[in-house]
Amino acid sequence: MSEPLLRTDSVTKRFGKLTAVSDVSLSIPEGGISSIIGPNGAGKTTLFNLFTGKHAPTEGSIEFRGDPIGGLEPHEIVGRGIVRSFQITNFFAELSALENVRLATQADRTGFAPDDFLAHHASLSEATDEAEAVLERIGLLDVADRTAANLAYGQRRHLEIGIALATGPDLLLMDEPTAGMGPEQTDATVSLIENIAEDATVVLIEHDMEIVMNVSERIAVMNNGELIARGTPDEISRNEAVQRAYLGGE
Amino acid sequence: MGLLDAFDPREASPTTDGILTNRGRFGILALIAALAVLGPIAASVRPFWLYLLVQILAFALLALSLDFVFGYAGLLSFGHAAMFGAGGYAVALLVTHVTPNALVVLPAAVLTGVVVAAFIGWFSVRARGIYFAMLTLAFAQIFYVAAFADLPASILGVETITGGDNGLVGLAALEAFGVVDLSSRLNYYFLTLALVALSLLAIVRIANSPFGRVLQGVRENEDRMAFIGYDVERYKVIGFAISGGFAGLAGGLYVPFQSLAQPQLLHWTLSGELVVMLLLGGLGTLWGPMLGAGVVILLEEQLSGFAAWEVILGAVFVVVVVFAPQGLAGVLVSLRDDPKDALGNVRDALANYREKVLK
Ligand SMILES: Nc1ncnc2c1ncn2[C@@H]1O[C@H](COP(=O)(O)OP(=O)(O)OP(=O)(O)O)[C@@H](O)[C@H]1O
Ligand SMILES: [Mg+2]
Repeated sequence: MSEPLLRTDSVTKRFGKLTAVSDVSLSIPEGGISSIIGPNGAGKTTLFNLFTGKHAPTEGSIEFRGDPIGGLEPHEIVGRGIVRSFQITNFFAELSALENVRLATQADRTGFAPDDFLAHHASLSEATDEAEAVLERIGLLDVADRTAANLAYGQRRHLEIGIALATGPDLLLMDEPTAGMGPEQTDATVSLIENIAEDATVVLIEHDMEIVMNVSERIAVMNNGELIARGTPDEISRNEAVQRAYLGGE
Repeated sequence: MGLLDAFDPREASPTTDGILTNRGRFGILALIAALAVLGPIAASVRPFWLYLLVQILAFALLALSLDFVFGYAGLLSFGHAAMFGAGGYAVALLVTHVTPNALVVLPAAVLTGVVVAAFIGWFSVRARGIYFAMLTLAFAQIFYVAAFADLPASILGVETITGGDNGLVGLAALEAFGVVDLSSRLNYYFLTLALVALSLLAIVRIANSPFGRVLQGVRENEDRMAFIGYDVERYKVIGFAISGGFAGLAGGLYVPFQSLAQPQLLHWTLSGELVVMLLLGGLGTLWGPMLGAGVVILLEEQLSGFAAWEVILGAVFVVVVVFAPQGLAGVLVSLRDDPKDALGNVRDALANYREKVLK
C-alpha cells in the first residue's frame, strides 16, 4: 500500500490528570471516507484538535504526507491541506452565508500585498464565484444573502461544512455533521459527505451507526482516549471489544 | 456583562455591503464642504473657533483610527493615546531639532504611529478582550511615564529630550518649503481638514478591501478564521499598525497647532475619553466616532467652566448608552429612515436596558 495521508504515532494528549487521547497510533490512507466512533468523552474531538493544531500533542507525533505537523499553528495546518468542520457550529454569525463561505475561498488570495488593502472586496470575483459554487453544493445558494444567524438549524450545519469545504481541503475532518438533524436532513447531509469524498479524503466523527456502517471504508473505535479497534465496517461490527465498550452500551 | 453587550461592535456595524451608502458619501462630502466654508468665517468672526475646529478635527481623526480597529477588528485598544502622543512628540522633536517642514514631519508622525502600534500590537494581540485592552493601556502608560520622567534623556545621558513634565514648548510653526505659510491658523485648518478627509477616504477604502473583510471575520470569530487558514495575529498586528499610523497623524496635526507637546497626550485618560467618543458616536460606523469627538470637545469647551464638567459628560454618556446603544450615528440613521420609528427605538433600548442591566 502507498504511504498513508495522515499518520499518528503513539499520540497522547493530557489535560492535567485527564488523558483525553492515549497512545493512539493510526493511519488514514488517501481517498474515501474513514470514520472515528466511540462513546461520549472518548477523545474523538480531541484527536481532531490535535490534527488541526488547536492543541499540541503531549507525546507522540502526527505526520501528514510524511511531514510532521504536531504542534503547528492551525492556519499552518490549513495551508498543508487539512481542514475541519466543528461539532458545535462555529461560523460568522452576523455575516451572510455567502460571506461566511467567501472568507474561506478568499483565504489563500488575501495576503499583505498592496492590492489587498486598496482594491474593493468586490474585486474578489473568483473567490465569490467559488463561494457561490460551494453554496450550491451545500444547498444554500438561494439563501446566500441571509445572515448566518438567521438560517435554519440544518442550513447552519451545512454552512459549517461549506466553510471548511470552501478552503479546498485534501483532508476534510468532519465532527458529527448530522448531529441533531431529522431523517431528511440527515440523508441530504450523507449525500453531501459522499459527494465531498469524491475529491477529498474525509474523516468523519459520527454517532449514527447506520451512517457509519454505510458510508465508511474504514472505522476506528475509541474509548477512554484509547484506540480499541480498527477495521472495515464488517470487522468492527463483529469485534467483541467494540461491542462491549460501545455497541453493547447503546 | 449586560452593559457590555450594548458595546458589542457587531451590533453597530454594517456587514454585507460597503460601509457608506451613496447618501452617506454625499453627506460626508457636504459636511467637508461646509467645514471648508466655515473656516474663513470662523477666522474672521472668532479666531478661537478655528482653534476649536482644529482640535475637533484632530480628535475626530484619532477616533476614526480607533474605530477602524475596534469597530472592524474588534480590538478594543485602551492605549491609543500612545500613538497619538508618539506622533505628536515626533513632530515636536523634529521641529525643534531638524526641520519644521510639514512634508517631512507629518509623514514622520504617521511612521512613528505605525512603529509604536506595531510594537504594542505585537505584544498585545495574543491577549483577547479585556486583557488586550489592559495590555494596551499598560503600554501607553509606559510611554507616558517615559515622556514624563524623560527616560530617553537619562538613558542617553543628555540633559533633556522630552522636556519631562513641562513637555516641549514654544514649537515653531510648520511650513512647506516656504511655499505655504502654515503659521496662518486658517491655512493650518485647511491642511488639517484636507488630511482628515483623505484619512477618512483611505480608511473607508481599507475597510472595504479584502483585508478589511478579513478583519471583519476576525471580529466575528477569530478562532474560525485560524481554522480556515488565516494567520489571525498577523492580521491583527497589521490592522493595529495601520490604525496607529492615523493616530500618529492625528497627534502630528494636533501638536504644532498647540505649539506644545505634553505628556498628557500619552495619558490613559485621553485613551478613555477616546473610547467615550466612540461609544457616544456609534461604533463601527467610522463617521459616528468622528461626530462623537466633536460633541465631546464642544461639551468640554462649553462646560469646562464648571468644576464638574466630567459629571455632565458622564451623564450625557449614560443617556446615550441607555437610550441609543448604537450612538449618535444610530440615532441619526433611524431619524433619517423613519422618525416615528426612532422613538420606538428609544423605547426598545430602554426595555432592553431594563432587561439586560437592571434585571
Ligand atoms: N480543552 C480541554 N480541557 C480539559 N479537558 C478537555 C478538553 N477538551 C476535552 N477535554 C476532555 O477530554 C475528554 C475527551 O473529550 P472529547 O471532546 O475529545 O470527547 P468526544 O469523543 O469528542 O466526545 P463527544 O462524543 O461527546 O463529542 C473529555 O473528558 C473532555 O472533558
Ligand atoms: Mg466530540
